[in-house]
Amino acid sequence: MTFKLYNYVLSGNCYKIRLMAALLDVAYETIAVDFYPGFEHRSPGILALNPAGTLPVLTSGDMVLTETQAMLTWLALTYDVTGTWYPVDDPERLATITEWLGFAGRLSQSAGLARLHDMLNWPADEKAVKAAAISDLRTLELHLNDRVLEGGLWIAGDGPTIADIACFPYTALSPDAGLEHDGYPAIRNWLYAVRALPGFVAMPGIHYLHDLKETSGD
Amino acid sequence: MSTEYARNDWYVVADVNQLAAGQVVETRLLGQPLRVSGSPDAPLVTTADGTALPAQLRYDHIWTSPGADPRPLPDIAEAAERDRTFVPCGGVRVRCSPLRAVENFLDIAHFPFVHTGILGEEPHTEVAPYKVEIREDVDEVWATQIGFHQPQAAKSATEAIETRYEYRVPAPTTAVLYKTCPPKPEAWDVIAIFVQPLAENECIAWPWMALYDEVTPYADLVQFQQEIFLQDRSILENQKPTLLPLDPRLEIPTRCDLTSVVYRRWLKRKGATYGALTTAA
Amino acid sequence: MGVGVGVRMNSVAVGLSRDLAPKRVMRAVAYGHDLAVWRDGENGLHAWDNRCPHRGMRLSHGFVRGDRLACLYHGWQYRKDGGCAYIPAHPGLEPPETIRAQTYSVIEKSGVIWVSTGNDAQGVDTGPVSEPLRSLTFFCAEAIARAAFEDTPFAGNLPQVESTGRLVAGGHPVAVLANPVTESETLIHVLTSAGVGIAAKKALSRWCEAARSVAERQAA
Repeated sequence: MTFKLYNYVLSGNCYKIRLMAALLDVAYETIAVDFYPGFEHRSPGILALNPAGTLPVLTSGDMVLTETQAMLTWLALTYDVTGTWYPVDDPERLATITEWLGFAGRLSQSAGLARLHDMLNWPADEKAVKAAAISDLRTLELHLNDRVLEGGLWIAGDGPTIADIACFPYTALSPDAGLEHDGYPAIRNWLYAVRALPGFVAMPGIHYLHDLKETSGD
Repeated sequence: MSTEYARNDWYVVADVNQLAAGQVVETRLLGQPLRVSGSPDAPLVTTADGTALPAQLRYDHIWTSPGADPRPLPDIAEAAERDRTFVPCGGVRVRCSPLRAVENFLDIAHFPFVHTGILGEEPHTEVAPYKVEIREDVDEVWATQIGFHQPQAAKSATEAIETRYEYRVPAPTTAVLYKTCPPKPEAWDVIAIFVQPLAENECIAWPWMALYDEVTPYADLVQFQQEIFLQDRSILENQKPTLLPLDPRLEIPTRCDLTSVVYRRWLKRKGATYGALTTAA
Repeated sequence: MGVGVGVRMNSVAVGLSRDLAPKRVMRAVAYGHDLAVWRDGENGLHAWDNRCPHRGMRLSHGFVRGDRLACLYHGWQYRKDGGCAYIPAHPGLEPPETIRAQTYSVIEKSGVIWVSTGNDAQGVDTGPVSEPLRSLTFFCAEAIARAAFEDTPFAGNLPQVESTGRLVAGGHPVAVLANPVTESETLIHVLTSAGVGIAAKKALSRWCEAARSVAERQAA
């Protein structure tokens, strides 16, 4: 087995890893952790593995990773035979990717927390997290519109990278917190492009693109 | 808006996990704030002015009723079968009418598009004729003889099967699904949805399951059901109007919507209009 | 001030043509109406009431197959004329003519999608200033949003206001189109001219954000 993922199906951070693995066509083992309603991420077993009690946790052999963005880096460097998801030979592009990996972490604290609040009644300062989420969506929209003006689409360079995967879930899921995408056309088109990637997998709140099938009704 | 009928039903306001963890739950029911505290065996539900409402633990959830003369809490006989695994799946807040949430639970035609690859998949979209009735002796809506092609009917399913379904609506915000049990074909899996109306346009859905599955880890069972219900949430939050229209001219049903047609008719007949749009087209 | 002032308009700008590719659907608001705006496979543009007649689901969440828009909820497919063509739950059924989505008038002009709630959509001709820059939401009323562009310096200088209502910011011509989504939310579309380089466009994009800060501070 390649790696184990301690997984919660509704977590956008866990989904980053499921999505990246699917796009890289890597099989792995999942261990379901009952984050809600069971709060199992605070159980002794999970805390022994990750004292911070956050999900996901990825293990491979003796390696234990608890930061999602680190997992994406490891997945790309280990399983991406094309070398395009994390292009180590291009310092500027790599730095841009790292910049947006940092942004993705902020996004899970804003849009991600707003979603947990609205969906699962998670305690949060609703007004503050939603204001922060809007600010983050605007930051991403500005950047993606720049890319459109340059004739591009992806966050860094001419193709998708782990930065796109890191930013995708909580951006795509922001309507779960009532933050719709209507006023963010560059984000909308970028989300569509991610969903159209070969091997894409969905999660609740992010549907498959049924338009890519042409099977019925004709 | 009328709460007259609604006040005399029982509603879930917390689950056993919350009280077992010592939580004091601040919530709402029919627009009124409520506090749920105590232990699972001795739950306490109080209104804003400190009045205690009746409270009981059933089906791994805490139920209450604000009415003076509540109708009986729906009986789910399978809850007494101790060899089943009982799975309370947690509450999910949805910005929709509680009745819309129930109606979606009763719908199978959306499976290929909303639960793609799990409960349905193109080109297997056809819904065969089935039977719906109001059982007058118990005042419940029943839909029976339903069959549907499902890629993964349950966590325990190892291949696509033709799944059999029966739906039962014993109260306007409580619905029970009896479904083919892949590892035990002679029995039904039971999946229920208990909908807590926070307001007419907002609710918490509490899915609960009583399954025969000795193999699948508990956390996988919870997540299988959560995955399915959360796929519905973005649909429910984008239906217009937010309230469930009871005037048959406002939305156009087709043959496969018979359960919904009868559910709406049943609600209208009972005057169970909390969360419903009762004005004409 | 902005393009269109003084012109009696029956139409409103809901998006930039650039941002809606063939076989895609988006949500738009025109005069308080919630709409699904979509392109078919041949680039034809359609604006419909954003509601599937079956169960009220927003069609903007749907998907386009060929020349039909389908609802995400149950996959019901609608032809370009709004009529229901196919109900997946009953593949053999010919849907009755009465099942149809309500359609609106929509055109493209100056690189912008314009929708009318009447039957004759018109667009404003912005002349050479029809190069798409971006669309962005301001959380304020339309008048405050429009005024903010005039009050926001670009590279230290306030923009000039031309007699046409167009602005010139840092020497770059700019047309600002506004769609009042609600009394406290305005969708702004900004156009410039084709000769403006990428670096200048990015600078203009940031100037739009500065105008938004001005407007939203004022509205707060």
